[in-house]
Amino acid sequence: MADHAATHAVSHAVTHAVHDPNIGTTGLDHRKMGMWAFLGSDCMFFGSLIGTYLAYKGKSISGPTPRDVFDIPLTSYSAALLLASSLTMVLALAALQDNRVKVAAGWLLATAAMGLHFVLNQVYEFWTFVHHHDLTLGTSLFGSTFFVLTGFHGAHVTGGVIWLLLLVSLAWRGQLDRRDYTKVEVAGLYWHFVDIVWIAIFTIIYLIP
Amino acid sequence: MADHGTTAATHGGGGGHATVRTYIQVAIALALITGVEVATLYIPGIPNPVLVISLLLMSAVKFYLVVGFFMHLKYDHQIMRALFVGPLLIAVAIILAVMALFSAFLLLPRPH
Repeated sequence: MADHAATHAVSHAVTHAVHDPNIGTTGLDHRKMGMWAFLGSDCMFFGSLIGTYLAYKGKSISGPTPRDVFDIPLTSYSAALLLASSLTMVLALAALQDNRVKVAAGWLLATAAMGLHFVLNQVYEFWTFVHHHDLTLGTSLFGSTFFVLTGFHGAHVTGGVIWLLLLVSLAWRGQLDRRDYTKVEVAGLYWHFVDIVWIAIFTIIYLIP
Repeated sequence: MADHGTTAATHGGGGGHATVRTYIQVAIALALITGVEVATLYIPGIPNPVLVISLLLMSAVKFYLVVGFFMHLKYDHQIMRALFVGPLLIAVAIILAVMALFSAFLLLPRPH
C-alpha cells in the first residue's frame, strides 16, 4: 500500500515536472537557476569594483579622505535597515507558502519601505559629500571609486524596491497566491543579494581603516 | 507567527527551507554581529591587523548566514550552489589579484 502511494507520488511529481514549463531537464526551475547565474555574474561585477576601490585606496593626491567624510552611525543604521529587510523578505515568503497573501503583501511592503529608506539615506550621504566636503566623481581616485561602487549598489537596491512594489501591487489586485511562490522567491534572492553586497561594502569600505 | 517546520521543496529548487524561528534567530545573530563590528571600531589600541581580520571574519559569518539561511542555499540543489559559489570565488580572486597588481595591502603597511 505504502509502495503504491510512493509510486503514485513519484509518478505525479514526474508528470508535474513534464507539464511545468518552468522545470528544465535538470529538474530545477529555470527562473531560480537563471537568477543564481545572474547573481554569480553580479558577484564578479561587484568584486571588480571593490578590487578597484581597494587598489586605489590611500592613493588620492588630494582630499578629502574617507575618514573625513564617512558617517559611520548613519551607515550602520543603513546596514541595519537592509539586514532587517532581509528578515521581512523571508517572512513574506513564509506567509505566501501558507497562502496568507495579505500578510505576505504586508511583509513585502515593509521590505520595500526599508529599501527605500536605505536609498534615501544614500542620497543624503551623497548630497553631504558633494555639498559639504566637495567630494564628487571627478575630485579624486577616492571619489571616483567610491561613488561608482556605492552608486551601482544603490541602483541595484532601487531596482529591487521597484520589483517588490510590483509584487505588492499584484498581491493587492488578487493576482498573487502560493502558486506564485517561485516568483517571490526569485525576487527574494535578488533582494538578499543586495544585502550581502552591502555586508561586504560596509566592512571593506566603511569599517576597515 | 506560525512555525512552519522544514518543508520539502516543491518548486524545482532542491532541498527544504528553514523555519520562521530559524529566520528570526539568524536575524538576531546578524544584528548582534553588526553591533560588535561597529563597536570594535571604537575600542582604542587594537592593532590594525587584528582589527582587519576580525572585521573580515565577522563579515564572512554574516555573508554565510544570509546566503545559507535567507537565500536557502544551504538547502538548495548543488547546481545552484555551484552557480553562485564558483563566481564568488572568482570575484574574491579578482579582488586579490587587482590588489596585488597595484601593491595595495589590507593588513600590511603600504610601501613608500
